[in-house]
Amino acid sequence: MTQTNADQPIHYQAQKSECEIFEAAANNKLPVLLKGPTGCGKTRFVEYMAQQLNRPLFTVACHDDLSATDLVGRHLIGASGTHWQDGPLTRAVREGGICYLDEVVEARKDTTVVIHPLTDHRRVLPIDRTGEQIQAHEDFMLVVSYNPGYQNLIKGLKPSTRQRFIALEFDYPLAKLETQVICQETGLDKQRAEQLVLLGQDIRRLKDHDLEEGASTRLLIYAAKLMQTTLTTTQACMASLAQPLSDDHDTIKAIERLINAHF
Amino acid sequence: MEEFIGEVWHKYISSKVATGFPEAGVELATFQSQLSTYFHCLGGAPGKVVEAAEPRILGNHRPLLQRIAGSHRRAALCWQDQRSLRLPPVIDYLPEKEQNEALYFWLAALGAKLPTMKHWFVENQLATLAILTSHPGLKTGYQMLAKAVVAQRPLIEHLPQKLQAREQAIQRAILKPGSVKSLPLAIGEPLFVPLWLYPAPLYDVGAGNVEDSDEQGASSEKNKTESLNSPRKSAQYFDDEKQTDGLLVFKLEALFSWAEQVDMDRSQQEDLDQDLQGAADDLDVITLSRKRKAGSAKVKFDMDLPAPFNDDLYLGPGIKLPEWNYKKRAMLKDFCFVQPMLSDEAVPSKLPENLKEQANCLKRQFNLLRPLSVLQRRQPFGDEIDLDAWLDIKTQPNVMIDGENLYLAKKKNARDMSTLVLADLSMSTDSGVTTEQRVVDVIRDSLLLFSEALSACDDPFAIYGFSSIKNKQIRFQLLKNFSEIYSDHTRGRILAIEPGFYTRMGAAIRQSVSVLKMQNSNQKLLLIISDGKPNDIDHYEGRYGIEDTRQAILEAKRQGIQPFCITIDAQANDYLPYLFGDQGFTLVRDIQQLPKMLPKLYLNLSQSI
Ligand SMILES: Nc1ncnc2c1ncn2[C@@H]1O[C@H](COP(=O)(O)OP(=O)(O)OP(=O)(O)O)[C@@H](O)[C@H]1O
Ligand SMILES: [Mg+2]
Repeated sequence: MTQTNADQPIHYQAQKSECEIFEAAANNKLPVLLKGPTGCGKTRFVEYMAQQLNRPLFTVACHDDLSATDLVGRHLIGASGTHWQDGPLTRAVREGGICYLDEVVEARKDTTVVIHPLTDHRRVLPIDRTGEQIQAHEDFMLVVSYNPGYQNLIKGLKPSTRQRFIALEFDYPLAKLETQVICQETGLDKQRAEQLVLLGQDIRRLKDHDLEEGASTRLLIYAAKLMQTTLTTTQACMASLAQPLSDDHDTIKAIERLINAHF
Repeated sequence: MEEFIGEVWHKYISSKVATGFPEAGVELATFQSQLSTYFHCLGGAPGKVVEAAEPRILGNHRPLLQRIAGSHRRAALCWQDQRSLRLPPVIDYLPEKEQNEALYFWLAALGAKLPTMKHWFVENQLATLAILTSHPGLKTGYQMLAKAVVAQRPLIEHLPQKLQAREQAIQRAILKPGSVKSLPLAIGEPLFVPLWLYPAPLYDVGAGNVEDSDEQGASSEKNKTESLNSPRKSAQYFDDEKQTDGLLVFKLEALFSWAEQVDMDRSQQEDLDQDLQGAADDLDVITLSRKRKAGSAKVKFDMDLPAPFNDDLYLGPGIKLPEWNYKKRAMLKDFCFVQPMLSDEAVPSKLPENLKEQANCLKRQFNLLRPLSVLQRRQPFGDEIDLDAWLDIKTQPNVMIDGENLYLAKKKNARDMSTLVLADLSMSTDSGVTTEQRVVDVIRDSLLLFSEALSACDDPFAIYGFSSIKNKQIRFQLLKNFSEIYSDHTRGRILAIEPGFYTRMGAAIRQSVSVLKMQNSNQKLLLIISDGKPNDIDHYEGRYGIEDTRQAILEAKRQGIQPFCITIDAQANDYLPYLFGDQGFTLVRDIQQLPKMLPKLYLNLSQSI
């Protein structure tokens, strides 16, 4: 769990009207579901919105061993016996704030038990172990994200869970915006950033064929950073855009050709 | 003797005129998969593959010597259609290996930018310009290639005068793409440009008849020299000019030699026994009769006969099954006769090229689904102490928590599911989806991809097909059983499926259930792929067929089997909910999506239970 409310302003370039929708949801105490491929800016967006709305952010990266206990809290043993400690979700519910469950489908099924009563009109969090029922704070907001890509064929979200959220779809930003993001995040010159975005678009065409996922904005940013070191452009791009995406020799070779076709 | 002299002469004269640099030659096969990826990156249609082009006849001007040698008349040009981008099988046009390699990648890039073409001369130049703009890294490489290519072309002044202007235009267009707006007219076809794409060969079917037309153009020369070639070569030639005839000759030939071989095998009784034993091992339930169907040793040439009545191997004496008569509200005992069979003569084969990419993708995905071990909490035994459980006991002594289950244990979290796919192979699957594809072709592709996917994650599965003519002839065709490993043999059998007659679904389901029941897994899935209502030519149609099928489905459910139907019948909504329940089927509107959908569907089903 990480809790952020950084002092420095967070940069986020809106793709569409996601900021307005998010704000409207927050004002109406509605939970939000973010869907989109990896590295397209979902986490960044939530961090940004938390700052804009001036609410603390509790981020939980979900994994397949994450259970309701990890969200709600547990008893700990201290010097003076056992005591209860709130989990991130409980803290957000009590103190007010945004609880962001990243990759929610990864979590164990029992987490839905605590999510459901929080995401409808009740807005309560029942804690079995202490017998408490916490009414959510005014500023509490639940945000979950998931990537409808290949891994989640198996897991998907159940309709009964899905239909409790306002949903926002994310995708890699359009070329112009992505160029701006790269320039701003890394300081790369506009011309090379533009070419990098074109390269990214070429690689994304391989999604669902040679690659599970296309090159994310995050990887393009990595590439841009490496390009400004002493590495050659090819080295930088191979390390950030070819090797992370595939283990297949031919695919990597083809991407190498492609990189050299761009730079 | 004559032939010998002919050959020597041919060798001599060919060596005199050989161009190209065989030592620097690069083969398509080496780069095929890279080229395909590259092609797709640059915007080539996702479904298109990269394949070798057949050589085609060129109508360009050739110097006298080349004409005598009969060489340089044919070359494999680069072109494409809906199916694939065709690249020359070998490129040895330029003196350096790297150049020839670069030429391949250049052609793939151009192919991606120029999916269709009307004006060969203009569009090749424009597409070249477009690529060089979007991919500036190619600029230097292209200039080098262009120079090298032009260096291989005839000097303008060595050409007959009336060809000069055109050649000049082409060379300029290669060196400075986009600079020449039109191609001056001249006789014959221009010398081919290895940097450019060509229209599909159908476009210039006439090319073969275009005579070399210049001053010395003795038109009979061509035929003479052609006959000097080896017989095989001339057969190929024939093949090219009359596509269909050539193909037929080839097929019959293959058929004959194959038939001979088959006969030989059959006469060796021991082999046959062994064979059958193998087939018996393959079977899930059926007992075996060691007799072949009479006449099965003959290969049928009669194309009018529907495929299922070819010489498939009958497995066992057949099985009697009941049928539900809704009017009498009674099960008719032993009313149906199901004949399991195996097309043991299907030629083992590899996965068709056009499915490979999709299959690889599915395999990667399904590979991730191999059972993983996960930590289970609150176990009575285990590797580590479950602190949570212990704390719960300590903090809530008055709440009963699963006794002493205080351990974390690693357990394999396997999907324990067996799947039987039952494919409808009735006559209606013969109807066309597109001009080239029938329903049965799509079903076949789907079965193949499904098998590829499931074999990657080790989940047990079996595949059967069925069709019927009345209650006494229900063919239950074994394509893959549970114990058999998915192999080239299985693939061969799936590839060989052909439409049969009618759809007596109830009996086929009952037989599938009896096979599936013998599996030990927790979950048993019966996936039915169908293209229409149950029907047969007797009373088995309409309500009767539906009621019987429904009974069969209910029986299956009672035995712990989960039936699920995938149908492409647009009217299916009328009767399928009644048959399968509203969660028990899905309608595929665009059947071409079926191959993609089937594995996904499997995943959804495997978790929804
Ligand atoms: N619209 C944007 N404005 C500013 N930065 C962006 C934007 N989109 C993406 N980024 C950049 O992309 C990087 C990756 O984004 P982020 O970590 O939010 O991805 P994500 O969608 O949460 O991915 P994952 O699903 O893998 O967690 C960020 O660090 C940020 O630099
Ligand atoms: Mg994230």
